[in-house]
Amino acid sequence: MNLNRMGGWVVGTLGVIALLVAPVWLTNSPYLMHLAITSFFYAILASSWSLLAGYAGQFSFGHMAFMAIGAYSAALMGYYVRFTTAATNLCRELSLGGIWIVLLNPQGVTQTNTPNCLEMAKATMPVGAIIMQPPVWAGLLAGILMGALFGFLVGSLVLRLRSTYLALFTIGFSEILRAVISAEIDITQGQSGLKMSPLFPGGISLFGMEFGAAAKVPPYYAMLLLFLISMAIMGWLASSRFGLFIRAIREDEEAAAALGVHVVRYKVLVFVVTATIAAAAGVIQGHYIGIITPNILIILQMSLVIAMAVIGGLESLVSAAIGAIIIEFMLELLRNSFDIGPFSVDMTTWRLVFFGALLMLTLRFRRNGLIHPLITWFSRRNVGQETVANRAAAAAAPDA
Amino acid sequence: MLKLEVNNLYKNFGGLQVLRDVTFEVNGPELIGLIGPNGAGKTTLTNILDGAIKPSSGTVYLNDKRVDTLPPYMVARAGLGRTFQVTRAFRRMTVLENLLVPAMALHATGRQNFEAKAREVLDFLTMSHLTNEYGRALSGGQQKLLELGRLLMLDPSLIILDEPFAGVHPRLMEVIYEYIHRVNSDGKAIIIISHDMDTIFTLSKRLLVLNYGDLIADGDPQIVKNDPLVKRAYLGEDEEEG
Repeated sequence: MNLNRMGGWVVGTLGVIALLVAPVWLTNSPYLMHLAITSFFYAILASSWSLLAGYAGQFSFGHMAFMAIGAYSAALMGYYVRFTTAATNLCRELSLGGIWIVLLNPQGVTQTNTPNCLEMAKATMPVGAIIMQPPVWAGLLAGILMGALFGFLVGSLVLRLRSTYLALFTIGFSEILRAVISAEIDITQGQSGLKMSPLFPGGISLFGMEFGAAAKVPPYYAMLLLFLISMAIMGWLASSRFGLFIRAIREDEEAAAALGVHVVRYKVLVFVVTATIAAAAGVIQGHYIGIITPNILIILQMSLVIAMAVIGGLESLVSAAIGAIIIEFMLELLRNSFDIGPFSVDMTTWRLVFFGALLMLTLRFRRNGLIHPLITWFSRRNVGQETVANRAAAAAAPDA
Repeated sequence: MLKLEVNNLYKNFGGLQVLRDVTFEVNGPELIGLIGPNGAGKTTLTNILDGAIKPSSGTVYLNDKRVDTLPPYMVARAGLGRTFQVTRAFRRMTVLENLLVPAMALHATGRQNFEAKAREVLDFLTMSHLTNEYGRALSGGQQKLLELGRLLMLDPSLIILDEPFAGVHPRLMEVIYEYIHRVNSDGKAIIIISHDMDTIFTLSKRLLVLNYGDLIADGDPQIVKNDPLVKRAYLGEDEEEG
């Protein structure tokens, strides 16, 4: 292992340890804990979008849609699916051994128009019949599967689309999804959103301490765990043949195909992988916040993720993730207004101006972001010298 | 032994007929020049052989396997490699990574199995000092060499070189000459597309001439050179002058 790589591992390991022990200091500030959890959420989205756009060159604006698909899948499962030990004979249901999977009827927003079939069935169900809400992990699994499915569908549909056309297609997809969720009020409760149970409804014991359902520490570790797992998976993929091929596709699709790269397979795969990760993040975030609404799909949210990845560095998972964490904290901590002499600066609005200016300056002067060049300098600082030295050695060789 | 069969190939783009009844064969490690004026259909023919576009009619068989219906990556895996008229190095990937792409696309094993071969290829192309440089840091000529190196890693039985000498420094041109001779003597067939007549007539053992979609000549370069039809269509001389 060369020194550059070893240095990277040391810094990475220290960073992970710092994130693992951070709640010791942050736990007294629920606000900072909330910021940390949200920043991990955006770090997952920004880094997975960097894999899609920065590595594979697929400038999709549908990433938040995949996130929402994950969250809504889990929420709808929590709302409409129940496991029972007896048939209801009133709801739609499926028997699996001794367990019944019951699908509740849509309730709408007011929940007064249509009676709940399960509530009505309770009167006729055997005494002692158990009714269970699906566990959070089942919702996570459903969200991941739906994310992967929609990633596959969208990835397959945009195979021939590039740049502007791909961006417009995915914006269209995202807007259609938002419109459908908003319109299907009976099922999704429209703009009111769907409530989601806490990540650990009955609380949890961690490190010998008990945490209630509303505590911040368990979701902190849940989101951190997802962040670390997704970074590990994406890092492994990026350094494997998968990463090599998607970068070749980004550079030149036709040349890659002429060299034997199965372009279709890898373009679809990168959509599936990144959509799955975004969907998983959506499920955890939805359970943490406690509600999911279609507003998460507005273009501003997608722009925020893109800006985070661009400012960090689009062509590096780590840079995009660090960019997301820094910007999430920066955007919140800059809310503090201040006075300059007689002038009062209202930072609740001016912070967005600073953020926009930072984005514009990054795009103008640092196309590779603000973090990525630092990593590149660290990992490739000797390459130029090596090239010159090798060329000089070759020129000095006897047969030169 | 390599066998390429191109049978009655037609290609229309809307009302424009770009290739008309093109038929030829390549048998074994031939060194073939393909010439024709601009718009003659050379690149279209290459794109059809490569699988990038489908013919309107006709067939292409490579080693008895029909390839005109296959996507480009399968044609590459079947044994046809090509370079492009405008160099297409992967600019934001290192030189070593550029070489690893075709090798790893062909074999489902890790990169460590191919790094030694890639370094040999770079040595041969006099580019070993550039191993860790990005493709974008290379000169135009070096990028052409890099494309040739990628073909060595792909190890196809038939290679199509589209304008390999265009804009290349004489010293690098020598490397390309040596490349062509070595690869050809290793048993690979090569089709060279070039407007550099001196080079084509020096290198090629057989010449194909396309003229606005028609294959008007196929044979020994010296005989083709004196073909009145070729002279009139491409070399710019009157029949009487020849």
